[in-house]
Amino acid sequence: MTNYIIRRLVIAFITLMLSVIGVGLLIHIVPGDPVMVMLGKNGGSATPEQIENMRRVLGLDKPVWLQTLNYVKGVLSGDMGQSMFTDQPVGKTLFNVLPATLALAFSAMVVAVGVGLPLGFFAAYKHNTWVDNILMLVAVLGVSIPQFWLGLILLLFFSLTLGWLPVAGDDYRSLILPAITLGVTFSAIVARMTRSSMIEVFSEDFMRTARAKGLTETIVLRRHALKPSLIAVITIVGVVFGYLMGGAVVVENVFSWNGIGRLALEAVLRRDYPMIQGFILIFASVIVIVSILMDLTYAWLDPRITYD
Amino acid sequence: MTGVKLVNHMEERSNLNRALRNRNVQMGGVIIMILIAVAIFAPLLAPYDPAKIALGKRLSAPSVAFLFGTDEFGRDIFSRVVFGARLTLYVGIVAVGIGFISGVAIGISAGYFGGWLRSLLMRSVDYLYTFPDILIALGLVAFLGPSLTNVMIAVGFSVIPYYARVTYSVVLVERNKPYFEASEIVGASHWRLILRHLLPNIVPPLIVVVSLGFSAAVLSAAALSFLGLGAQPPDAEWGRMLADGRNYITRSPWILIFPGLAIVITVLGFNILGDGIRDVLDPRQRKEGQ
Repeated sequence: MTNYIIRRLVIAFITLMLSVIGVGLLIHIVPGDPVMVMLGKNGGSATPEQIENMRRVLGLDKPVWLQTLNYVKGVLSGDMGQSMFTDQPVGKTLFNVLPATLALAFSAMVVAVGVGLPLGFFAAYKHNTWVDNILMLVAVLGVSIPQFWLGLILLLFFSLTLGWLPVAGDDYRSLILPAITLGVTFSAIVARMTRSSMIEVFSEDFMRTARAKGLTETIVLRRHALKPSLIAVITIVGVVFGYLMGGAVVVENVFSWNGIGRLALEAVLRRDYPMIQGFILIFASVIVIVSILMDLTYAWLDPRITYD
Repeated sequence: MTGVKLVNHMEERSNLNRALRNRNVQMGGVIIMILIAVAIFAPLLAPYDPAKIALGKRLSAPSVAFLFGTDEFGRDIFSRVVFGARLTLYVGIVAVGIGFISGVAIGISAGYFGGWLRSLLMRSVDYLYTFPDILIALGLVAFLGPSLTNVMIAVGFSVIPYYARVTYSVVLVERNKPYFEASEIVGASHWRLILRHLLPNIVPPLIVVVSLGFSAAVLSAAALSFLGLGAQPPDAEWGRMLADGRNYITRSPWILIFPGLAIVITVLGFNILGDGIRDVLDPRQRKEGQ
């Protein structure tokens, strides 16, 4: 187990280093001169000195390998450069709003699992009946609804028409609608995944044995089906979490939720390259860290899994 | 060889028959055919020019003259939704095309040639696979710049891992089968082996990925356009229409309803079709279902 953890951490470190290097190189895939792109057509109203200055601030006057090396060195010492527009340090700006995005992702996860898991479990239990068919029809509808559309509809209904919830803000009341928007679409995915893994569990020999022993249905479900389903959930949570982070970019912008997703879009629209590099790196780190945590929990929950 | 071919053909035909009898395939297929018809006959179906501004008629409620109402510039939403079908299919086809062609090429190169090429290609694919496609697409658009073309490229690139992984796993299975080794021993060229033996086997499992991938691509592209990174005004793109109309939704909710429904129906069609085809192709499901 210890060996496995060490190996995972080493791989995670390499993955993140590759991400840092990749992100450092990203600025060079921009067609044309990034400074000109940032300033607009023909450099906008910038004087040649300003253009030269910007190039120096971005480190673009140095060879590519040196720029990348400097970026990696900076990131390792906690310096991710500074925004081209606000002159604020990228790391500090992003870490300030990271908790808001994580709060959104976690509450959405609670909604997704809270709704999706029981539905998927029930559908699997009633496999090949009309209940199963209807639930899966609802689930396929759920994965087909764009988050931004659902968000706008909820906003129109609960905030603008009924006035129950605020349109925007930073408190927990403003978190409700974004979390539901993000959570509901993913609850459909969770339901589908839970269903297919539970169909397998329900057809296992130990389930038949439990029933043959004459155990009541409640005990069969609670003692024998619940634990495998927990393991399934951990796997699902690991897969879905990354996608929740992706969805957060969209949902934050619908609800003006002050998280990384909003800053990210702002940075993309303004072509603020240091900020863009920063948010890609932070998203990558969060996703890599969560996937390690999931694998470890997985091993802890299922004694049959040994990673040696 | 002929015997194998015959069996293959029979299997293909029975798969096709089973597919056509599958309720999901029928439902999804009908939705997609309607969508394609709407896209092709858009100029005949749309009563107005989708870009024609009529300020006097701005924000009119749905009526006989304007089935879905009008937007903030008085443009007919029905006509815009109809023309939007063209853009949506176009974006989907290009994005899926990029993902499919690159993914299959990567999967075949990795699975067929093996060695360091496999390590390099599949490690990169696995690495990309860790990240949600919308984030990859967003990251790419960030550097390529906002435009519909760049969104198509970015979304196409972001889905490469799906196609590459499926292709790779099929190639690994096929190249260890006796018939494949036999052709290799007889001296068939790389191209012959790849085109005659690998490609035909890769296509069926990839149909599922293409159908489900199409809906994912449409959703991602619409989301990016909604964020202002894709289609630019006055393009009649569904995601963009929602973004432009969002300030008027309290007064004129129809601006919000119809483009959104169009996205849902399109994505639903491809999802149902993909689910249906998977049921038909996956032998495990077949045993359970029948």
